[in-house]
Amino acid sequence: MISEQDVGGVHIKYLYHCPRQLWLFARGFRPEATSATVQLGEAVHDTSYRRAHPVDLGSARLDDLDGNLWVHETKSSSRPSPADEAQAIHYCYRLRLVGVDTQGAILRYPKTRRTQRMPYEPDWDERARTDIANVRTTVAQPLSPPRPARTRCRGCSYFDYCWSQ
Amino acid sequence: MPTAARTYWLTTSCRIRRKDQSLLIERDHGEHVRIPITDVRDLIACKPVDVNTSVISLLNQHHINVHLLGYYGDYTGSLTAADTATSGETVIAQVALATDPERAMPIARDIVRATAFNVRRIIDRTLLKAPYTVLKNNTEDAPDAASLMGIEGNFRRSAWEVLDTKLPDWLQLHGRSRRPPKNAGNAFISYVNGIVYARTVTALRLTPLHTGIAFLHSTMERQRHSLALDMAEMFKPMFSERLLLRMASRNQLKPHHFDVDSNQAMLSDTGRKLVVAAVRDEFATTVNHRELKRPVAYDELLYLEALKVTRACLEGDTYKPFRIWW
Ligand code: SF4
Repeated sequence: MISEQDVGGVHIKYLYHCPRQLWLFARGFRPEATSATVQLGEAVHDTSYRRAHPVDLGSARLDDLDGNLWVHETKSSSRPSPADEAQAIHYCYRLRLVGVDTQGAILRYPKTRRTQRMPYEPDWDERARTDIANVRTTVAQPLSPPRPARTRCRGCSYFDYCWSQ
Repeated sequence: MPTAARTYWLTTSCRIRRKDQSLLIERDHGEHVRIPITDVRDLIACKPVDVNTSVISLLNQHHINVHLLGYYGDYTGSLTAADTATSGETVIAQVALATDPERAMPIARDIVRATAFNVRRIIDRTLLKAPYTVLKNNTEDAPDAASLMGIEGNFRRSAWEVLDTKLPDWLQLHGRSRRPPKNAGNAFISYVNGIVYARTVTALRLTPLHTGIAFLHSTMERQRHSLALDMAEMFKPMFSERLLLRMASRNQLKPHHFDVDSNQAMLSDTGRKLVVAAVRDEFATTVNHRELKRPVAYDELLYLEALKVTRACLEGDTYKPFRIWW
């Protein structure tokens, strides 16, 4: 249904945030990208990071890779989440696959002026491969995964879809 | 449905031009209006409009549809933006659902019942109780969509008779007539129905569904957006019949709002503006949504309904057609 190469940063993020979101996204259903949250995310990218060098790896697209081979990602949330970390690890893995020896990742949270440095660790490749495999099994399920507790759904663009009867 | 963007109504003939990232609406008499493209959800052209390719490409980039209402106010078509939302996976599931009579018939039946429920709710609960019971019973073992529509037709005839008793003589329908509407009441209903239908097309096009594959109306028939016909059905009474009753009882409608001759009628220029303003306000009215726990505008209900159909297709959920719940 989805090949290893097709698994990108968004899939990883959704896998951690909500498997149901991943399942729906993989079926080509993209609710309008008009929620205030999405717009905020774009605005944060547009304004906070001007001399970036975005890198396009097909399905994965990273904000910036600096001269010392650190991956930079800017986030619109205020706190680091497991999803952010998994996404950074995924990008580093993808870069290493194409022969770029990344040093690790730097996550920025302009909203709270936090920066999280994540130096590369040897188990990352394994973690990234596990995540990719999990994405593929989740997507391949014939039935949609159940909804998590509603509190997790705040700001999710599938909210109206999942919660209206 | 995005909150920033909204429907723009073009009630006089005009030319639309592009000015950077904005639409410039030029009228022959009257000021030019500039609308940032990000403010626009869709456009409803009630009168002829001129557009050029640069306008079309801007509309296209922003996935904006222009719906065209004809001379009599009936829906005549749309300039639809290139289809980017439709997903193959969803459409396959939609086709599977719509072509399996075991699963599609209950949906069609429910649409007819929900529509009748809403008609009764708007027009008269007591007087339509008996016809509604008849409809519920007869739909029970209707063999196919065509007979469902016949049953609905019978119910509608009773409903229009009751409706006439609540209208002043000159606004009475004396049976439904379209293309052309024979009298003022019919002209009003046709016009508002056309708008509701157009808005439904917009709502559906925000989902991954195919607008041509339907449950009640024959797939790809006549106006092509058969699914929009299915869905608009349940919402039309909430806007058309309700506004007609309300505007009549408040004496807001006057004979000069219509151009009537011996066997056809249509809204006059002032009538059209009045009706469009009323519909626009009605679309913006909000109601508290029980599950979403927030107020939603009436026109957002159309989009939420389209999402429900999506869920039925994609996840096999039971689809419960819209019934007025408040
Ligand atoms: S709304 Fe909630 S359940 Fe639905 S996809 Fe989003 S996070 Fe998951």
